[in-house]
Amino acid sequence: MDWHGALVLWCAVWGVAALIWFGMSLAGVTGAQRTVRLTGRIERVRPPRHGGSRAGGISVVVSYRDPASGQDVTVTNDGEHGQMITAAWEGREIGVSHPRGRPHAYRLSNAPGPRTRGLGRAGCAAFLVYAGLVALTAIDRGWPWALIGSGGPAAVLGAVQLPRAVRDRNGRLARLSAMEAVPGRVVAVLRDVSVDQDDGHARTTITPVLSFTTRAGTVVTAHCTANLPDPAGAYGREVTVHYTAADPAEFTVDRAAGERSEKWDVILHVLAVAVFAAVAVAGAVLLRV
Amino acid sequence: MAITAGAPPTRTTPGGLALGLLTGAVIGASLTAFIGGCAAARTPLIVLGLVLPTVFGLLRYLGTLPRRARERAVAPRTALAMIESLEAVGSEASDVPVRFDLTVAPDDAPAFRVEFRQTVNLVELPDYRPRGIVVVEYPPDRPWKMRIVTRPTPAWEERAARAFLDSAPGPSLKNEPSKGCVGGLLTLLGLLLGTGAVLLLFRADLFGPDAGGAARKPSVTSSSTFSSTSSSTTITTTVTSATGTVALGPGRSMLDEGELRRSVESLTQGADQRQALTVVVQDRLLTVVWSPAGVDAAGFDPRSLPFDRVAALVEEARTTLGIDSPRSWQLTADGVTGSPALRVTVTGERGTGILEADGQGRVLRRNGS
Repeated sequence: MDWHGALVLWCAVWGVAALIWFGMSLAGVTGAQRTVRLTGRIERVRPPRHGGSRAGGISVVVSYRDPASGQDVTVTNDGEHGQMITAAWEGREIGVSHPRGRPHAYRLSNAPGPRTRGLGRAGCAAFLVYAGLVALTAIDRGWPWALIGSGGPAAVLGAVQLPRAVRDRNGRLARLSAMEAVPGRVVAVLRDVSVDQDDGHARTTITPVLSFTTRAGTVVTAHCTANLPDPAGAYGREVTVHYTAADPAEFTVDRAAGERSEKWDVILHVLAVAVFAAVAVAGAVLLRV
Repeated sequence: MAITAGAPPTRTTPGGLALGLLTGAVIGASLTAFIGGCAAARTPLIVLGLVLPTVFGLLRYLGTLPRRARERAVAPRTALAMIESLEAVGSEASDVPVRFDLTVAPDDAPAFRVEFRQTVNLVELPDYRPRGIVVVEYPPDRPWKMRIVTRPTPAWEERAARAFLDSAPGPSLKNEPSKGCVGGLLTLLGLLLGTGAVLLLFRADLFGPDAGGAARKPSVTSSSTFSSTSSSTTITTTVTSATGTVALGPGRSMLDEGELRRSVESLTQGADQRQALTVVVQDRLLTVVWSPAGVDAAGFDPRSLPFDRVAALVEEARTTLGIDSPRSWQLTADGVTGSPALRVTVTGERGTGILEADGQGRVLRRNGS
């Protein structure tokens, strides 16, 4: 089998897989569609231990109402149970989900998530079909088609997303400027050391944990992984925390750094669109030479 | 709390041992096939080496799907347990593997002992001491899959704080697979059997005269009067009373160094006096039309063709006749009497060109499209 045949087979296999997964989504039998999604509430936040591990996130006790029995269920984020909770306060609403009929396999998420149609696999398969078609065209009609096929759609998608990215950036900047400032304290510095089995190199991850009280009286405990100087020696340090009143999980200890980061986000987005467009144009020019 | 000891379930099954044997066989067979196929340049063996473990893995995945679905459907049981002993196995990381020996006391079942390993953060290690009470979680049908709950719910935390448990007598269930020597030996036996099976079944490919570099030598059958055909993986030679043909396999060309000469000689072996009326050469095909038997004066000796000039003539025809994107070429040597006349025909997208040469390979004329 030559390259052409192999690519045709590739496209056919992933095409069939995409159709099956699209069909499953239409029939409502994907894993995501069969997942029960609920809203839980943090009942208790356990203080982190200085020097401990960040694995598992901030220890919380969560309760939610089981729709099947109508009773309140209390769970914790012990073991493999979904997203790492990195900001917690009593009363915070978080997402709880579990496969239908298996409430013991619950998963927690930082925010209650909307229902999804489970199109992730189908989309991935469709992308692989597209990649195969681009490669097939490049082999049959010349390699510049690979540049057009990869750069063109990426540039179009990036350009379409650009206004939304600008709107999001403006929204985040507005929230940054409206943030409230309160005193906070580094209540623990978590330290995770992993050793590479091959070369014996040790890698250390330092995660400071902040605690601050909002003006509404909510005590927030959160991992602070950015903009804190000398994080390893930050235990007990007093800092000023800027937070969004509507969602204290959105906070920073360096508002200026946050504003700079937001400006760079849009610049990088525009640069990426320009690079992809240039790649596509180069392909088109090479085709005509 | 007074507790009753229960008997630990057995874990090693004949099915598990057979699966170990089969897994070993697949590993041995696929590795041998892949390495042997690469060494002997045998594509089917290489493919076998890749496909066999893939298919086995897929079948094993599909075969265990119902069991895994059943296991996932079982809700884990939570219970109190007492630490009989613990031993840090040691690690340079912040999470240390610790071997625990616990007495587990389920609410509605007899107590039992279990040994398992769990990583514990160094900072939390002092929390675990002999006689200490912890909350554990395990699948009821596989109690050896035990783990300590480091963040119990407040209700279980409260129970653990107030509980006192007695030790249950051993022996302990063990977390690590306990197939023991028999399982390991069976897997090793399977590995050897798989390796041996491939070596035995494909001995001709791996150790035969055609293995390795010898595979490229053509297998030749020649007959001056009767038709016979034989083929190897790279060359097919057919000799009949009227014609002789040599077809090359993929990736080879009559323009390769010495290929045309070898092909002509393979057709003329044992037929030294045989004359040809026409010789037609294409990229991977050589056809010789023999002169009729009994007509000794007709034709020419195909071994007299200017083999060293053929590649240059073809290249010249492709580049100097003004043919756009030449796609194929054909060299025809005709000679009813004496020296043959050569004609190279090149076909492109929009036309055909012909280059003519004498028996020594000297260009006589060119005709473009």
